[in-house]
Amino acid sequence: MTRTRVKLSLSLTVVSMVLGFMIALQYRGTAENRTSAAWSDADPDVRRLSSQVTALKEANAKAEHRLAQITAELSAYERRSAGRNAQLQALQRRLQAERILSGATPVTGPGIAVTLMDGQGADTEKVLTHDWDVRQVINELFTAGAEAVSINGYRVVATSGIYCTGPVVRINDHRIGAPFLIEAIGDPQALRSALETQGGILDALRARGLNVSDPQVETSITMPAFTSVPTSAGPPAGG
Amino acid sequence: MIWLPVLGLLVGVAVGFVSNVQIPLAYSSYLSIAILAALDTVFGGIRASLEKAFDDAVFLSGFFFNTLVAALLAYIGVQLGVDLYLAAVVAFGVRLFQNIAVIRRIAWGKVGKRRGSQAGVKQM
Repeated sequence: MTRTRVKLSLSLTVVSMVLGFMIALQYRGTAENRTSAAWSDADPDVRRLSSQVTALKEANAKAEHRLAQITAELSAYERRSAGRNAQLQALQRRLQAERILSGATPVTGPGIAVTLMDGQGADTEKVLTHDWDVRQVINELFTAGAEAVSINGYRVVATSGIYCTGPVVRINDHRIGAPFLIEAIGDPQALRSALETQGGILDALRARGLNVSDPQVETSITMPAFTSVPTSAGPPAGG
Repeated sequence: MIWLPVLGLLVGVAVGFVSNVQIPLAYSSYLSIAILAALDTVFGGIRASLEKAFDDAVFLSGFFFNTLVAALLAYIGVQLGVDLYLAAVVAFGVRLFQNIAVIRRIAWGKVGKRRGSQAGVKQM
C-alpha cells in the first residue's frame, strides 16, 4: 500500500515537472507572440522609426516644393537671358515646349477640368473609379492635344504610372483616392468635345454608374512641375 | 507526500522560464496539443489513484506516449491538410472533463462519508 503511494507520488512528480516545463515554454512563446504581434507605440524603436518616417516625408514634400519653385525661376531667368536675339528666343521657346511636354516646368494656361467620383451601387466592381478609368480619360486628353495633364495636382508625364494598389490609385508613386480631379491644359473646346463625344469615354463611365462631372472650361489652370523620380528613361530633360 | 507533485510542477515551470529553450512559432501548436495530452494523463492518473487502480508503469508510459502521439497526429494532420489536431483536442478535452468529474465525485463521496462517520460518532 505504501509502496504504491510512493510510486504514485514519484511518478506524478516526474510527470508534473515535465508538464510544468512544457506549460512554461508554451506560455513564454505565446507571450512573445503577443508582444511582437501587437506593434505597440510603446516600443521605443517603433516610435523612433515612425517619427523618422514622418520627418522624412515632410522633408521630401518641402524639397519637392522647393524644386518646383527653382524650376520656375530657372525658366524665368532663361527667358530673360534670351534677350532680343531671335534665334535664341526660338530655341528658348522650343526648349520651353519640350519642358512642358516632359513635365519639367510648371505650366499655366487655359484648359478643362473634370472630376471622376465613385458612384453609388451594390456592385462595387462597377461603380468604383478604377485605375484604367483614369488612364483612359488621360489618354483621351493627350490624344485630343492636351499639353499638360494633372490628377489631383500631380502632373502626369510620359513616364507616369497610373495603377491600382488596393483601394487607391497610385500616380507617380503618390497614393490617391477618389474623387479624381483631372485637369488638362490645351485647347479647351477640343479637349471638351473629345471627352463629351456621344458614346465617348465619359458616357461610358456614366453608363457604368460613376459620378462624372461635366467638363468645366477653365481660363487659367496652373500645374506644378513633375517632381517625382521618373520610373524609367533617366532624369527629365532640362534643369 | 501529496505536495511533491505540486512542488514538481513548480520546479518544472521555473526551469521552463529560466532555461533558454525557444520553441519556434511553427511548432507551438504541437506543444499545445502535447500539453493537453499531458494534462489528460495527469488527471487520468489522479483518478486511477483515487479508484485504487494506479499503475506507475502504465501511467508513465501513457504520459510520454500520449504526448508524443498527440504531437505526431497534429503533425500528420498538417502534412495531409486535415485538421487532425482538432480530433486530439476534442478527444483529450472530453476525457479531461470526464476524469475531473469522476475525481470530483470520488472526492465528494469521501468527504460525505467522513462527515457521515463523524456524525455517527457524535450520535453514539
